[in-house]
Amino acid sequence: MKNKAQQEMVGFVLIVVLVMVGMMVLLIVMLKSPKINSSLEVDNMLHVIMKTTTDCVISSGSRYETIEDLFISCHENRRCNNLNQQTCDYLNSTLSQVLSDIMKTEGEVEAYQFEFSPREEIPIIKIRDGNCTSKITSVAQRSVRVTSTELQIKLTLCKKQFD
Amino acid sequence: MVKAQMKIQQMAFMILAVFFFFVLVGLFFLSLVVQDLRGSAERLRAEQAISSLRVIADMTELNFDSSDTLTIDEDKLKIMSTNLSQKYSMFLPVSYIRVYKIHPSFEKEIKCPAPNCNYYELFSSNQKNTLSYSTYVSICTRVNEDGYVQNKCEIGKIYAGVIKNEK
Repeated sequence: MKNKAQQEMVGFVLIVVLVMVGMMVLLIVMLKSPKINSSLEVDNMLHVIMKTTTDCVISSGSRYETIEDLFISCHENRRCNNLNQQTCDYLNSTLSQVLSDIMKTEGEVEAYQFEFSPREEIPIIKIRDGNCTSKITSVAQRSVRVTSTELQIKLTLCKKQFD
Repeated sequence: MVKAQMKIQQMAFMILAVFFFFVLVGLFFLSLVVQDLRGSAERLRAEQAISSLRVIADMTELNFDSSDTLTIDEDKLKIMSTNLSQKYSMFLPVSYIRVYKIHPSFEKEIKCPAPNCNYYELFSSNQKNTLSYSTYVSICTRVNEDGYVQNKCEIGKIYAGVIKNEK
């Protein structure tokens, strides 16, 4: 009789322990995993950045390049003829300035990262600033198709968490 | 007889304990889900506001290139920032619309038209208790440089004020 009661108790304790362990694991996973959202706001930001006209002219007599055009020119290792500068260097400095100016209007952004890379290769341009302590991350991604490959442009924003 | 009653009582208490335990577990998860729902609702509200701003930016009265979205014609902005836009007050369910040029950055706000101005006010109903929503737009214009006519686009941000709901 006593033995049976003990068995029941052990069984109950086992169930409670199992449920608790499950809850703990779930809680840890929920708290630790960053929330990566594809955000309309970041998507618009990246869209507008890419449409921006720069001061770079690739060949004399042609039009001023947009940032989107410069990604292709940078991949093809071309130069800004009027500025006597490599497109990648010019793109890097222009993007740093543009992103810095944009972030001045964003009170909630704690950190950001901009990456430009040919598909599954090491980034050609990587700009990052700030320190991300929050777990709210918004991402926008675009691809530009060139003859041989696909260029990927990715903007990640880390937003402050208000409790 | 008493022993059997005791056993039934013991079992009843056990069932109650297990029931309350699972109720507590359920409440805990429910609170987590509700917390996430609030965040999602807030995010959806912001995305809806941004979509509305996109509709405003893509209106024929402001749009630069009908084949592209979020591009505003600076010449149209100049015209609309005169009293003309007041006529649109009944069509626009917002308290104000402003378009800022944000690159290069500026220290002091200067309303257009003025030298080195950095923002256009298209419409304002002078409401005080408003909630501001914004999204990015390209501010484009046709320029003639070195004999070539081309599009020049800058980075801007469109802000709209929505009247706060008093609770």
